[in-house]
Amino acid sequence: MKKLLETAAILLAAGAPVLAHHSFAMYDHTRTVTLKGEVTKFQWTNPHAYLDVDVRQKDGTTKHYSIEMTSINMMTRLGWRSNMIKAGDRVSVTLAPLLNGEPAGLMLDVTLPDGRKLEPGVPAVQTFKRTPPEEQQ
Amino acid sequence: MRIASFGGLVIGVIWCAVTLAAQQKTAVPNISGAWERYGAALGQPTADAQRRDGTFPPRATPPPLRPEPMKIYQARLKAIQEANAKGTPIATGYVQCLGDGMPAMMQAMFPIEFLQSPGQVTVIEEAFNQVRRIKLDQPQKSFGDVEPGFFGHAVGHWEGDTLIVDTIGIKESIQYQNVPHSAQLRVREKIHLVAPDILWDEITMEDPVMLEKPWTVYYAYRRMPNYTLLEYICEDNREFADKEGIQQIHVGGAPVK
Repeated sequence: MKKLLETAAILLAAGAPVLAHHSFAMYDHTRTVTLKGEVTKFQWTNPHAYLDVDVRQKDGTTKHYSIEMTSINMMTRLGWRSNMIKAGDRVSVTLAPLLNGEPAGLMLDVTLPDGRKLEPGVPAVQTFKRTPPEEQQ
Repeated sequence: MRIASFGGLVIGVIWCAVTLAAQQKTAVPNISGAWERYGAALGQPTADAQRRDGTFPPRATPPPLRPEPMKIYQARLKAIQEANAKGTPIATGYVQCLGDGMPAMMQAMFPIEFLQSPGQVTVIEEAFNQVRRIKLDQPQKSFGDVEPGFFGHAVGHWEGDTLIVDTIGIKESIQYQNVPHSAQLRVREKIHLVAPDILWDEITMEDPVMLEKPWTVYYAYRRMPNYTLLEYICEDNREFADKEGIQQIHVGGAPVK
């Protein structure tokens, strides 16, 4: 229950408008991609945190994704901690893909192995149009 | 008897003067501590409620730039807009780990802290660990005696409950909201409480080269009584500006040092 409340608090706080920091214009605002994979690194740094994830492809190969988050100071105020994700965790990430097609994106939310869903507090997150998983390519 | 009454009156007058002086001396408010930008976040009163109780500052007006710098400013805004629309944003200083400088740091993108100590008020902006020192009760230097920097040379004094600050020596490359300024930029501030826990900074920019008249903008902050500013180090930044000044990102990990 406590965890549920914490998650609710984080999600609620994540809806708060925050002041623009860096531009996120390099990410696609018209669609999202949901990735399921294994975390190779959770980089807890400023100006932004990053989550590196290996995603198994249909042909058996692995594709590495770099996923940008927001400032760890913003994330900390939203309830995040540096130990919430670790290498080896299997996670599901909703991201706005990098427009140039490289395997990277901006994290809109992440679902942790224990089912908690967290948001990194992307400013103006409502401007990113979400694609339902069944419509994703 | 009459002498005694007169003596009492004199003592009374002196007592009143001393008390008044003491009150004036203690009129300097305690603004030390952490503050968050007020008026923009969830859990804060709506703009209408803030307007009703007088804590919502006036909205900013466009910069009254002279015709030539106005053209440069408008072209810059257009270029930013077009670059964003193309998905190739122009890199800001943040991408290169540079803080705002003055007066943009007073926007309080992240919480700020005021520290009052003898002879100095210090302002710290959590983002990029920006520190600004306002020396109290000292004369301002001349433009030629200040090396241009991010925060400039700031002097201040208390007029009653208002901290009056004068800042010069801000680098021309350090712009507030992309508004061009010259080496002659002077930033005047009036920092005062409008409610026990709401602080305003009235910022007036004067620049005889670029501005037709002084330009005033306002920021409001709310006290964060239980907050301690976090550290902020720009570390292993995967964002960078390419040769064209476009924001890019290292895909695959942080750049090798």
